[in-house]
Amino acid sequence: MPLNKANLSQGLKRIATRMEAEADTLNSADGQLGDGDLGITMVRGARLVTEILDDLPDDLGMAFMKVSQAFTKTSGSSYGTLLATGLLAAAKATKGRTEMPWAETSGILGLAIAAMMARGKASLGDKTVLDAMEAVRRATDGLEDPVALLITSQEAVTAALVEFRGQTNKIGRARMFGDKSIGLDDPGMLAFKAIVDALA
Amino acid sequence: MKKILNDPYAYVDEMLQGLCAAHPQYYRATGEGRRVIARAGEPKQGKVGIVSGGGSGHLPVFTGYVGKGLLDACAIGDVFASPSVEQMADAMRAANGGAGILRLYGNYGGDVMNFDMAGDMLEMEDVSSTTVLLADDVASAKLEEREKRRGVAGMVYAFKIAGAKAEQQADLAEVTSLAQRAADNCRSIGAALSSCTVPQAGKPTFEIGDDEMEMGMGIHGEPGIWRGGLKSADDIANEMCDLLLADMPLSRGDRLSPMVNSLGATPPEELYILYRTVKARLDALGVEIVMPLVGRYATSMEMAGVSFTFCKLDDELEALLKAPAECAFWTV
Repeated sequence: MPLNKANLSQGLKRIATRMEAEADTLNSADGQLGDGDLGITMVRGARLVTEILDDLPDDLGMAFMKVSQAFTKTSGSSYGTLLATGLLAAAKATKGRTEMPWAETSGILGLAIAAMMARGKASLGDKTVLDAMEAVRRATDGLEDPVALLITSQEAVTAALVEFRGQTNKIGRARMFGDKSIGLDDPGMLAFKAIVDALA
Repeated sequence: MKKILNDPYAYVDEMLQGLCAAHPQYYRATGEGRRVIARAGEPKQGKVGIVSGGGSGHLPVFTGYVGKGLLDACAIGDVFASPSVEQMADAMRAANGGAGILRLYGNYGGDVMNFDMAGDMLEMEDVSSTTVLLADDVASAKLEEREKRRGVAGMVYAFKIAGAKAEQQADLAEVTSLAQRAADNCRSIGAALSSCTVPQAGKPTFEIGDDEMEMGMGIHGEPGIWRGGLKSADDIANEMCDLLLADMPLSRGDRLSPMVNSLGATPPEELYILYRTVKARLDALGVEIVMPLVGRYATSMEMAGVSFTFCKLDDELEALLKAPAECAFWTV
């Protein structure tokens, strides 16, 4: 079965539940490198998403747009706006369709990464959520089985966290911490891992 | 600093209530949290909509310039804070007459991120839009890095010129092109004598001595070029003219509209003292002065100080600048 409204809704519900459980972990990870509210941002966004699950549109593009809007309402957080930007890229790519083959996942991640890079002025290698997303995009290229997609994605995110843990954060508020960011996981990458883990 | 208010957290909402109550013929509040001010009445079908937005604390910018021949709608954030994506999207919806929308606002990181996002959202609703950013503050970055400059009072000219073009039922590409030309032809410089106080912060944004001034300060108190003893009006005006002319050289026969703008607390009397020097400098260059603007056009709460803007004109820009326009703060 391809991606459709029903399994998108199920997936969003699982992500929302997971965010409640991860909130404290994300807040404290963010507290070491940022302003300590990433868990709050994710929970606020997830709760707004939960509210719209019952009347999610059949058109996947419109459904992704509704989810995107939920994250724009968590205003004040650039991570929320960036996630919303990525979701809107997915919305544009799926507009007018009620089903999306899983094989498109990697390509849509690529579109989301490009849109988020343009909006946030970050590059790959800056140790941000983009590096985790890019690792998943590369690893899942050509995959069309949803189970294989999820297992491969989890492995890719975990490997990206390990790869970047020893590096410095090169953009945003975390950049100010310089060498002190070595050894710490990027909070945005952790939030993305939580999303992937929730689906697996 | 003393302020007249009820609740600092209700400051912007109460201000907007009063604005609409005083001028219902011009403004109506709509959108998420009623933080969108649109022209009274429905959007005009077939006309390009022009929206702006940004933080409060700069009246008449941005909200005040909603009106015929000017803006169609504006999203308003807290004092010196960006409006949300939803509010910006709602401003675009309120301005939508089916002919596309120009987003015309100042170059500030948070505003750009949110307005671009709002544009993407409207694209999903099949509404096309373009962006023109004002980046006219010469003190905020070198000429080689013009795209990094902040947008200040020059946006008043861009609102006026783009607004007049849109009233002629020009298409989105034409309105955008005129707005960009107006933005490119504007240069501004500010000088502050005292700080402003953001209501929710409750204390002045920065400290400055009673006998000091700061040249090049931004409209939110961003650091300027130098800080030192307060100079005479003629010296201040000459230095500000020097900075603008170095950035945009003028020659005999050029046409230009100069603006001498109060940042809030500085009275019109002092603006006119400064204007003498502006006039003398432009006369000496053989530059033709068109429609000088002297008054309170773009402010920073109760900051004492002044900004100069030079807007260089050609035939079309001049005609559009002189075309009729009407809002509660400015009638042409």
